[in-house]
Amino acid sequence: MATGLKDKVAILSMGCSRFGERWDMGQEDLMREAFYEALQRAGIGAEDIGAAWYSAHYDDIGAGKSGVPMAMALSLPGIGVTRVENFCAGGTEAFRGAVMAVASGAVDIALAMGAEKLKDTGFAGLPPASRGTLAPMYMPTHTNPGNFAQLARAYEAVHGLSRGDLKHAMAHTSMKSHANAAKNEKAHLRRPITIEQALQAPIVADPLGLFDCCPVSDGAACALLTTPEIARSLLNIDPVLVKAAQLVTSNGWEAQQSEWNGAYVHTTRLAARAAYAEAGINDPRRQISMTELHDCFSITELVTLEDLGLADSGTAWRAMLDGRFDGDGVQPCQIDGGLKCFGHPVGASGLRMLYEAWLQLTGQAGTRQLRLPSLALTHNLGGAPAQNVSSVTIVGL
Amino acid sequence: MSSIKSIGAYLPQLRLERSAIGQALGWLTTGTGRGLRTLAFWDEDSVTMAVAAARNLPAKDLQAIETLTLATTTPPFAEPQNAALTHAALRLPRYCCTQDATGTPRATLLALHAALENGRNALIVAADKPVAKAGSAAESRAGDAGAAVLAGAGDGLLNYLAGASLSAPFIHRSRATGATFPLDWEDRWIREEGYLKLLPEAIKTALERAGLAPDAINHLILPCAMAGAAASVVRAAGLTNARPAPDLNDQVGDTGTAHALLMLCAVAPQIAPGETVVLAQFGQGATALVFAAGEGLQQLGGLKEQIDGGRVETCYAKLLAFSDQLDWDRGLRGRYIVPESQSTAYRNAEAIFGFVASRDPHTGQVIFPPTAGGGLEPWPLADRGGTVATMTSDLLAFSRHPPNCYGLVDFNGGGRLMMDFTDPDAPDLAPGDPVRFVFRVKDIDAHSGYRRYFWKAVRDAAPA
Repeated sequence: MATGLKDKVAILSMGCSRFGERWDMGQEDLMREAFYEALQRAGIGAEDIGAAWYSAHYDDIGAGKSGVPMAMALSLPGIGVTRVENFCAGGTEAFRGAVMAVASGAVDIALAMGAEKLKDTGFAGLPPASRGTLAPMYMPTHTNPGNFAQLARAYEAVHGLSRGDLKHAMAHTSMKSHANAAKNEKAHLRRPITIEQALQAPIVADPLGLFDCCPVSDGAACALLTTPEIARSLLNIDPVLVKAAQLVTSNGWEAQQSEWNGAYVHTTRLAARAAYAEAGINDPRRQISMTELHDCFSITELVTLEDLGLADSGTAWRAMLDGRFDGDGVQPCQIDGGLKCFGHPVGASGLRMLYEAWLQLTGQAGTRQLRLPSLALTHNLGGAPAQNVSSVTIVGL
Repeated sequence: MSSIKSIGAYLPQLRLERSAIGQALGWLTTGTGRGLRTLAFWDEDSVTMAVAAARNLPAKDLQAIETLTLATTTPPFAEPQNAALTHAALRLPRYCCTQDATGTPRATLLALHAALENGRNALIVAADKPVAKAGSAAESRAGDAGAAVLAGAGDGLLNYLAGASLSAPFIHRSRATGATFPLDWEDRWIREEGYLKLLPEAIKTALERAGLAPDAINHLILPCAMAGAAASVVRAAGLTNARPAPDLNDQVGDTGTAHALLMLCAVAPQIAPGETVVLAQFGQGATALVFAAGEGLQQLGGLKEQIDGGRVETCYAKLLAFSDQLDWDRGLRGRYIVPESQSTAYRNAEAIFGFVASRDPHTGQVIFPPTAGGGLEPWPLADRGGTVATMTSDLLAFSRHPPNCYGLVDFNGGGRLMMDFTDPDAPDLAPGDPVRFVFRVKDIDAHSGYRRYFWKAVRDAAPA
């Protein structure tokens, strides 16, 4: 009988590169920046690592296929490096692999790294991902803004929102993340914006405007995981423990059948339910101190708040406008700026969220430190609302 | 006895004002003209317009078709056979003689002539999307359209009496293999030595074979972009009681291989049972087919609804961009290869060309792309229509007519797919709107010219 992952694995240390347009760095350099920070914070060396998981979505740009680029970049000590790819949820997938390796007793210390070098394409936004030979014969030429714009239009239609209310709630979502990122020296976008700026921005994919979309960034983030016992012996503080790590993958129900109304993310609801059960959480609105959500687009954040049970269905837009999720709100969301402003190096984002959770839970978040957080939830989504990989991870003291 | 059983036509939605050509190029050239001409959308070509015309046939028993001819002077492919693609999209019987007929706008009537003579169940589809030099008279005169006709043994809408096809090396237009633009000879020579000599001769022969005197003919349907030429042919052939059918030049333009059938479709409601009709076409000779009208022509809808349903376009540059005459900036996102993947395409031909899903008869679950498996039945989607679940107009995605519009479509009868929305009014679609499905070009490789086809959704103006 499976007993789950709760409290079996500790975060020994984490590292994160500065995100942004890192014209001077390749994917290997970004990984090294994050890795050395994590080693230094942990006080261990690369030779102490027993196995590694590596998330990188694109292989035609960046560093190529397999675990080899990471093993070479970090001079890992002749250990196995598993490359994982699960759309934008790959970072959490790498974390999950490393967590399971430690929980199983296979290794004492495992590394999870996510990295992406996106600014070598020559254009803004993500490059189209390969989809095999059949799908391009029938699937539209689509973009991620276009995929999530459909979520916004369905949310608007299902809940009877006016375009004005929708746009204002989305603008507030982005404005809040820009304000938070101003305090984050590693963030890609650090300038505050006004609601009016967001409302007046050019449309990218109707109804999403420029400020509803996260940037495409270069960056890397990593975690060193170990057993609670080893963590306690190496650290002078109570370690942050993994409470839940759940991931759900679409099976075609949303994209091929007509029951899903398009105004929520089905897999997130399933992953949240499983994660709350694994972590023993029954009142997430009270128990979760902070959230780092996959706000690839402002509408994604709003819908995710509902899917996680942090707002009732059809009400997140109003709670957002009321300031509930602001930096100084009841339940801060994206205190580091989120994908929207910290940035979105695809394969790294899941680990970047956990980096912020770890900083906050260990009191290392500097000027943006929250008061006594105890449980943090990260939500990492890959793909499109209708066809995706969604993960919910909970870590805490 | 054989006959025409059914007639269908298809006009693309866009109607370019010829004055727009003048506004852009009037300072440089004179070939602009007046009125409107149809303009195929970027994702329409002779194959898609032929498919659309066949789907517009009011009465059709496509499962009885023995031969399919695609007549076009603008086949998208030199190889493969374009009729084979048309056949797949229409899901015609597996055993069917398919052929491309090309080289002359008369190719359509040549195929129809042969079909009527042999009495087999024949579907003849015709479509042209002519490309001519910017500012030329040929560009202005032309229109883009498709038409279709079903022929077979026994009585029908138009009962075949006789026909004549005369061949002559009269080259009023030439275009070498591989060349983009045609070269037209002088109008006056075409009219005097071509239309006014070869057509009367062919008509005379056809009437003799039919045992009819010239004054027994009530209607002459003869495409000609030169004003008044058809009336002159009426006189030259002695058809003293015949009315020339409207040439549609001011509403549609000369649509080449499609035009004789298009004119027939437009004039059909005005042809009374028992009246006689000569259907003729010119091009390296002349064909004249003589019919006696049966029952049912006057009940056809004609072409008025499609002519009135157009969307006026005043941007001439769209014609240039759609026909690849403008080397426009596609951006780095537009720089991608369209892979052929022929083995994938063939393995999935029923899904991609025929738009067939699979359905579990026990649960009713419809899945596209279809899954193979025991007990699943093929489930054709093309004629089912559906509803927009959600959508977007995407300005970031590469498109030959931005924004790129797409979204989730719920099929009537079950199943769902994220589909392209097409035609210029696609951005106006919204969740809940009814849609129907059209066979269109999916994408075109900018370097090789290779194109793929698939089905897209358009607004269903008159949902069932």
